[in-house]
Amino acid sequence: MGQRAKETVLAAIDASAYATSVCAYAGWAAKRLSLPVELLHVVQQQDPVTARRDLSGAIGLGVKSDLMEELVRLSETSSRAEIEKGRVILKAGEQLLRDAGVADVTTLHRHGGVVETIVEREENARLLVIGKRGTDHEFSPGELGSIIERVVRASAKPVLVVTRAFVEPQQIVFAYDASPAAKRALERLAHSPLFAGLPVTIVMAESEGAAKRTLLDDAEAEFASDHQVTTLMDAGRAEQVIPQVVASTPNAMLLMGAYGHSPLRRMIIGSTTTAMIRTVKAPVLLVR
Amino acid sequence: MTKIETIKREWLSNPRGDILAGIVVALALIPEAIGFSIIAGVDPRVGLYASFSIAVIVSLVGGRPGMISAATAAIAVLILPLVRDHGVEYLFAATILMGVIQVLAGFLRLNLLMQYVSRSVITGFVNALAILIFMAQLPELTGVPMLTYALVAGGLAIIYLFPYLTRAVPSPLVTIIVLTALVYYTGFDVRSVGDMGELPTSLPMWLIPDVPFTVETFQIILPFSVTMAAVGLLESMMTAQIVDDLTDTPSDKQREMKGQGIANFFTGFLGGMGGCAMIGQSVINVKSGGLTRLSTFVSGTFLLFLLLVLGELVAIIPMAALVAVMIMVSIGTFSWKSIKDLRFNPWQSSVVMVATVVITVWTHDLAQGVLAGVVLSGLFFASKVKRLFTVESELSADGATRTYRIGGQVFFASSDSFVEAFDFKEVLDRVVIDVSNAQFWDISAVGTLDKAILKFRREGTAVELVGLNETSAALIERYATHDKPGADAQLGAH
Repeated sequence: MGQRAKETVLAAIDASAYATSVCAYAGWAAKRLSLPVELLHVVQQQDPVTARRDLSGAIGLGVKSDLMEELVRLSETSSRAEIEKGRVILKAGEQLLRDAGVADVTTLHRHGGVVETIVEREENARLLVIGKRGTDHEFSPGELGSIIERVVRASAKPVLVVTRAFVEPQQIVFAYDASPAAKRALERLAHSPLFAGLPVTIVMAESEGAAKRTLLDDAEAEFASDHQVTTLMDAGRAEQVIPQVVASTPNAMLLMGAYGHSPLRRMIIGSTTTAMIRTVKAPVLLVR
Repeated sequence: MTKIETIKREWLSNPRGDILAGIVVALALIPEAIGFSIIAGVDPRVGLYASFSIAVIVSLVGGRPGMISAATAAIAVLILPLVRDHGVEYLFAATILMGVIQVLAGFLRLNLLMQYVSRSVITGFVNALAILIFMAQLPELTGVPMLTYALVAGGLAIIYLFPYLTRAVPSPLVTIIVLTALVYYTGFDVRSVGDMGELPTSLPMWLIPDVPFTVETFQIILPFSVTMAAVGLLESMMTAQIVDDLTDTPSDKQREMKGQGIANFFTGFLGGMGGCAMIGQSVINVKSGGLTRLSTFVSGTFLLFLLLVLGELVAIIPMAALVAVMIMVSIGTFSWKSIKDLRFNPWQSSVVMVATVVITVWTHDLAQGVLAGVVLSGLFFASKVKRLFTVESELSADGATRTYRIGGQVFFASSDSFVEAFDFKEVLDRVVIDVSNAQFWDISAVGTLDKAILKFRREGTAVELVGLNETSAALIERYATHDKPGADAQLGAH
């Protein structure tokens, strides 16, 4: 099939309010990158085993086949409803993108685990767009959806985690810590048409020093050819400094390298990346 | 952390359902563990400790969340001779060794062998298991007062009819309570659990089995351990498959094998008998809404809790109540559909299924039954594939060259037909053997091809072999002799 080889912007949506803004950001990115959008919805299924209430504990003639049949019937009904819902969501999303001027939109409706499906489909994606929270966590502000977190960790592609409302990005804030992930972000995106023409603020949450300054200057040089660049060095904790800078920059999009630390360290002290996505009230583009 | 998320999903994604299901399962495990101890000829304590320890350990290290493992009938029927001839300490030692073997089997990925166990064999296994469970109840049903039959029948009636009243309470539990109360207050003289041997009064203790550490001991327990390990893994793999299908979720079979091994290893030290996954209990668990490791864990811990708290009461449960529960398990385990299917399935499948059942029930060894079933289904398969073999031949216009076109599968079973296809007496200058539509599978096939070619050459006929496909070519290159020097000399030696 032809579309396998083609690069896409992969936008993952569910029934939450984020679907609209995911489509809007995907449309924005697709137009800038001149790529088609692939709109993905994964059918979420309620577990039929837990849906039953039968504690009788009696097993009689043909219990295995009867139980199997009953579980299949339960899943079947709920799946059908979910599939219908998914179709509506995908259709609405496709319409939104077409209205926004993206001509090449394909929709993809899959069964399976959300994270697994996204990882499977992102092979051809140059960018993955996803909402900050899904249906499970839709109304817990300040939290990060657990699925989103797993996607960000599992994905090998740049992931754009978007806010509930679409604001066209006018400026880029680049959180730079000279980590390998941040360097990759720099390499990959400094000349990307995604940010073409947008002014960039490079922020380093470090205390002033010659070595750090050189790193910052290098980053600045990388962007300088295509962008108007400001640099900033602030000796605070990244989790505080960067959200502040983002907040004071109107219509900003945050760009950062993701998950530089070891799994052990992340488990003990938590992750800067996760904290950042949670606190920043702007779309965040993560590069691994 | 993905690890933490996995743990969360496997333990805490369904706590309400899991805890309730775990309790339902624990209530059904008690009569079963006692029943299986009696089958094995040991104190009920041995089976109950085993059920506790296996359930808890497998919940931690197994590979199939939501599956219930404990002391089982399949293992219990195997160990009776060991306990009878050598004593229960040898059983503990055999259980430890069984665990070691199972862990090794896990590392060797022997779960892949399950691919060769056909559906008919699995059905036969399940039916044989149900029959064994039922047969184990017969000692409780022969030579007993008529009253016992009435109690068992009453118990079964409650088990199957009570759910029409409410599904909120496990009906086997109702049976046990009603029959116990009845017998207690009327003073009927029937056997109770307390008459069957010692019940647990404390937590299990860590003990080294009291056996001499000699080669002789090893020789006594090894055959038992091997069979126990094999049967345990078979039932566990089959049960895992059933739970996979019911819940529509995958499982890690290799991890389950190692988990079973670890559980049995420690259970031996805790004074328990070997066990494995249980088909009936796992179905009860899923049916009751159990899905994660938590329900298995709860079933084990709640079982022990009940025994320690209610130990006195457990002793007065009449055996008739347990027999009723065990008959229920037997009925639920049996695949009734397979009886109906006997008429519709190919006769070979039915023979395989029935042979598995008969041999298992005869030998009391599920491993032997399964082995017989696997061998039979292999034979039937070979005889079917053997028919996928065609030969056409064509004589050239001048009558000097004959072309044989061989198609289909050439392997040990069809190699006779392969040789018969050629007419060696025909006087020819040249023979072309076209095997482009044939597949050579084994050295029997290659040997036969060799033989045919050499035979033609002895008749002075030049042979040309055309159209070998890649796999066949590789096989022939490695094993054939007709194209190597000295080939003619070797023919005589065949």
